[in-house]
Amino acid sequence: MAEKPSINSRRTFLGSSSALIALPFLESLRVRPIAAAEETNSVVAPKRMVFLGMGFGVTEEVWYPNQAMVGTDYQMPDVLKPLSKHKSDLTIIQNLYHQYSSDGHFGSTFWLTGANRYAVPGQSFHNTISVDQVAAAQLGTETRFTSVQISGSNLGNASDGHGPGLSLAWNRQGKPISAWQTPVAVYHRLFSTETTPLAERQQRLAEQRSVLDTVLSDANSVKRRINKTDSDKLDEYFQSVREIEIRLAKEEKWLGVAKKKPHSELREPAETLEGVEEIRMMYDLMVAAMQVDASRVFTYRMPGDTMLASLGANMSVHTMSHYAEGDRHAVSELRDRYHAILLAEFIDKLKASKEPDGTTLFDKSIITFGSNIRTKHSLTNCPTLIAGGGAGIQHGRHLVMSDPKTPLCNLWLSLLNGVGINASAHGDSTGIIEELFTV
Amino acid sequence: MPSKHAAVFRKYCFDCHNAETQEGKINLEAISFNIAEDIPTAERWAKILNAINSGEMPPEDNKPISDAEKTAFLSDLSTRMVTARKILSDTGGVITMRRLNRREYQNTIEALLGIRPDSSSLPDDQASSGFDTSGASLFLSSDQLEQYLAVARRTLELALKPQAASQERIVHVEAEDDTTPLYIEKLAERQDALNRALAFQAQSEKPATAFGFIDAGQAEKQRKGALQYMPQFVDYLQRPETKHGATLITTIKGGLTKVSFRAIDGESGKEAVIRVRAAVYPDAAPRFRYLEFSMRSWSNSYTRELGWRKVNGTIENPEIIEFPVSIPAGERVQFYVHGRSHQGRGDKNLWALDRETNPIGTPPGLWVDWAEMTQPAHDGQLSEVAAQVLFTRPTDWSEERYAREVIARFATRAFRTEAPPDEYLEKLFNRYLVKRAAGQSQSDAIIEPLAIVLSSPSFLYMVEPSGSNESLTELELAVRLSYFLWSGPPDDELIAVAEAGQLSNPEVLKQQTSRLLSSARADEFVRGFVHQWLGLDRLGMFQFDARLYPTFDNAVRESAREEVYQLFHSMLTGRQPLRTLLKSDFVVVNDLLADYYNFDGVEGHEFREVQLPTDSPRGGLLSTVAVLAMGSDGIRTSPVERGAWVLRHLLNDPPPPAPPNVPQLSRLAGEVLPARKLQQAHQEQPQCAQCHRKIDPIGYGLENFDAAGKWRTMESVLTEKRKQQTQDFPIDPSSKLPNGRSFSDYSGLRDAVADQVDQFARGLAEAIIDYGLGRPYGFTDDELANQILEQAKSSDYQLSLFIHGLVQSEQFRRK
Repeated sequence: MAEKPSINSRRTFLGSSSALIALPFLESLRVRPIAAAEETNSVVAPKRMVFLGMGFGVTEEVWYPNQAMVGTDYQMPDVLKPLSKHKSDLTIIQNLYHQYSSDGHFGSTFWLTGANRYAVPGQSFHNTISVDQVAAAQLGTETRFTSVQISGSNLGNASDGHGPGLSLAWNRQGKPISAWQTPVAVYHRLFSTETTPLAERQQRLAEQRSVLDTVLSDANSVKRRINKTDSDKLDEYFQSVREIEIRLAKEEKWLGVAKKKPHSELREPAETLEGVEEIRMMYDLMVAAMQVDASRVFTYRMPGDTMLASLGANMSVHTMSHYAEGDRHAVSELRDRYHAILLAEFIDKLKASKEPDGTTLFDKSIITFGSNIRTKHSLTNCPTLIAGGGAGIQHGRHLVMSDPKTPLCNLWLSLLNGVGINASAHGDSTGIIEELFTV
Repeated sequence: MPSKHAAVFRKYCFDCHNAETQEGKINLEAISFNIAEDIPTAERWAKILNAINSGEMPPEDNKPISDAEKTAFLSDLSTRMVTARKILSDTGGVITMRRLNRREYQNTIEALLGIRPDSSSLPDDQASSGFDTSGASLFLSSDQLEQYLAVARRTLELALKPQAASQERIVHVEAEDDTTPLYIEKLAERQDALNRALAFQAQSEKPATAFGFIDAGQAEKQRKGALQYMPQFVDYLQRPETKHGATLITTIKGGLTKVSFRAIDGESGKEAVIRVRAAVYPDAAPRFRYLEFSMRSWSNSYTRELGWRKVNGTIENPEIIEFPVSIPAGERVQFYVHGRSHQGRGDKNLWALDRETNPIGTPPGLWVDWAEMTQPAHDGQLSEVAAQVLFTRPTDWSEERYAREVIARFATRAFRTEAPPDEYLEKLFNRYLVKRAAGQSQSDAIIEPLAIVLSSPSFLYMVEPSGSNESLTELELAVRLSYFLWSGPPDDELIAVAEAGQLSNPEVLKQQTSRLLSSARADEFVRGFVHQWLGLDRLGMFQFDARLYPTFDNAVRESAREEVYQLFHSMLTGRQPLRTLLKSDFVVVNDLLADYYNFDGVEGHEFREVQLPTDSPRGGLLSTVAVLAMGSDGIRTSPVERGAWVLRHLLNDPPPPAPPNVPQLSRLAGEVLPARKLQQAHQEQPQCAQCHRKIDPIGYGLENFDAAGKWRTMESVLTEKRKQQTQDFPIDPSSKLPNGRSFSDYSGLRDAVADQVDQFARGLAEAIIDYGLGRPYGFTDDELANQILEQAKSSDYQLSLFIHGLVQSEQFRRK
């Protein structure tokens, strides 16, 4: 079951009057970062969360560190060598899983939720809120985008290893949240300058509200005529309208604030980026988005087939996942290695990005890389790699949970608490993972 | 769960998990043996199943459960788990109001506006489990609502704006323009590199850079490359026919030679005809005798094969092939003509393999003189459907009256059964006024209110008002019927019959059902239902290795899928007994598939019934390429997948879902063994054996078909991939069905399956109820299934009787 965060997200965010004031203030600090850091203690760089879901799992024989070597004295597996230079800033955790997950093709559907798809009688599919959305309800109040969902194109099937869904994110009702799908689209949503005059944009918002008002009038008339079961179904429609209303309210607040240009030399990406280059660009875009504080919560459902194609492999990611010895094994290993290379580059860039308070983006972020699928079609010991200083985790270690059935949701809860969100549970969590925070 | 298994608990588990010990907070003494009691109980049993399956329980230092006890326990538990899930998800006969699924949404908009919307931004409802008509599982989110608005606006803009008037347009492409100069250039480049490399290697004073190479290594590489690739271009250019046409070859860099047209904008949707003057080389292998037509959408980033046509003309006397194409509304697309393709790098890999025996690589089969595309003239008028929406304004009507009427008529049609309330119409009209005030023209301003109609609940949901267990109104019945058989709204005739109050008359209802079934729109039912019923999505899940299965290309895969639809369709109209789907003396194929199956004398791309020779193994679903190829991973056959498919789809005895965490069988990994030998490892562990002893034997009976569905007498197992070395094993197809009936070969298996037509019919009845009523089949529906089966059985279970049976039932006509 989804937990209820102690903070009422809607009220907080509607009532948050500080957002508009805080932003220009932060921006002015960027001009004189050192002086700013001296002048005030109250302005600290915000916490951020990033979730990177790869779909089908890893080549288990080569990806996991030796379980006999735990703590700081572990040897980085060969395919993870590209991450060696960040070894002291990351943690690999073994023996986490979701007790209710049972579909060997769903690497992403329940990854951040831990839900039981059969939990509701009479329904063949059910999901609950994902951890990123719990975080966004609090971390997302002061940014233009409450959360950012990115996904490779045309994903969301069993054959791509992600399973049903539109992104890694699921809303409070357990319905999928859509994603931006190409680097160009992400770039434009984050950075394109709005050329329409303010008055016209205000007018547009007013019109969108009238549209909602009109469809609601039909919805109300339908509601009067149908029975209870159908009425519950129609509630999804009402809920959707309410969510759009909330988003419009937020957009209105940001109308007067121009989108900021990224600090790095980021250009508009080419239309044709696919596979490895697409992932690399998405990472760059996330870094740039953090630099201008466009959002503090990011999920990325990563492409599979196009990644393999860009590595010169002649097979689909599903074919690869049925690996035995030979070609498929080699391709799976190559994929693991490239994910490590790309992730290492992402960390490099986050470390190189200074915040106004003298810290780096990496210091204040917590990044999780993994999947609900361990390997092939197995769902225990989900591959989990976390990095970044945002959640107060004592990094540099290889942790093997003594209980091989430790809920993955315990990690999600730990990360929530680690970034300062006062949640008491997430999914089927039984508590936080104390070992993460103590040496 | 049979109570006898409590003995297993007592013997092996209670030490740690009884009322006192409760290790891990698990008390097996207190657990209810009625698994379906409630969801928590089912979950507890699911955990027990997983723990024993994965070998986690009992722990290593405890006494292991004996193999016999374990097999019996797991076998009972896993099948009862399936039943329990079914009981717990039983809706008790409630049909939840559902929104249109993506297919229905597209068809409904097309019926209203005359063009097919681009709905790629909406979720594909077939991706979740069960049928895409299941109301409770069809969700809606705020993103989706915004997408509905966006798609509706865009489609309305395209549909309600007349295309510019134009004359007939013919674009002519001389095939050699794209290719011959390119290959002359490629040859010259290679020749130049070869000359430079040889010159460099013939001396020792000057460095490689003086000859334009980075180093000696690159020079050698280029020399070798030139010698490898030049013969193909030399061969190409010495063919006299390439002076005035193009031979369709594969090159290692460019892939297939394509004849391409320029990109065109679809505007509100266009039709065109491609004509190609082409010839076939006399020695071409069958696969190389077909032109493939494909389309790239630049606006939506996809490429799709459109179809195939066999070429019979000769170089001396080429023939002209015609191929009609549709240009999707609102998309920018480009058309290509080329030889048959494989997925991914398949064609290039095949070329490299062929080059080991032939210096020019894969020998070409086709030659194209020219290609042209004809777009018919357009009168610049709105389509008939659009003109119905924007009907001509009577001269004495004010703008206001006209706009109100356009909105009201459109909303009434879009809402299918109920007239929209005045308050709502007033709000829509206000949207129009606001747009007018903002300076939009009348025709632009009308788009907004109409788009809102197409995003309102009365359009998006199948609203069937008032309380439960009441009969549907006439109009509601018409809507349910047409969405069942057409996945779209009723036509004028069906509405007229309903409005006259006659549809609920069983005779009339039967007539209308027959009429809908015989319409071309019933294709929506055939494809939508069959695809999901038989799990055909698996056909695209694996890429086949072109080096191992060179003839299994995109054309065969797509035609094989089509074969299943066409077979079902011919059953629907042809009144054959249902058993025909399991065993028949004919197949439904076209020329391309006939080539693949090695049947002679089938000419033309249309599918038709073809009588089989008496000794043919084909005939019936079991031996279709589609079903056989789904039972493989693109390299080898999978007796497990095939066996499970037969149990699930033909024998209505679905095996429990594959448990996720069973330890992988690795004892035989990497060994060169026939498939049957490999599967026998399943018998060694009770947690595998309990299901696989039912599944695998059926798969053994299909081992005479290779991974791509071709007949074989020996099984070739790859021993060395690069050199394509194999070892051959004899095939042993003998085994027995779960009911104990044994068979000695494939035909024995087929007969044994065909004799279980009662089970097959039950599975079909359940699936049709599920699909047609829009809720998962539950135990509540058993009586309905019995009713339908009883009626159908007397007429050999003719397919259409299942549909009539459901439509005539109480349940179909009730809310």
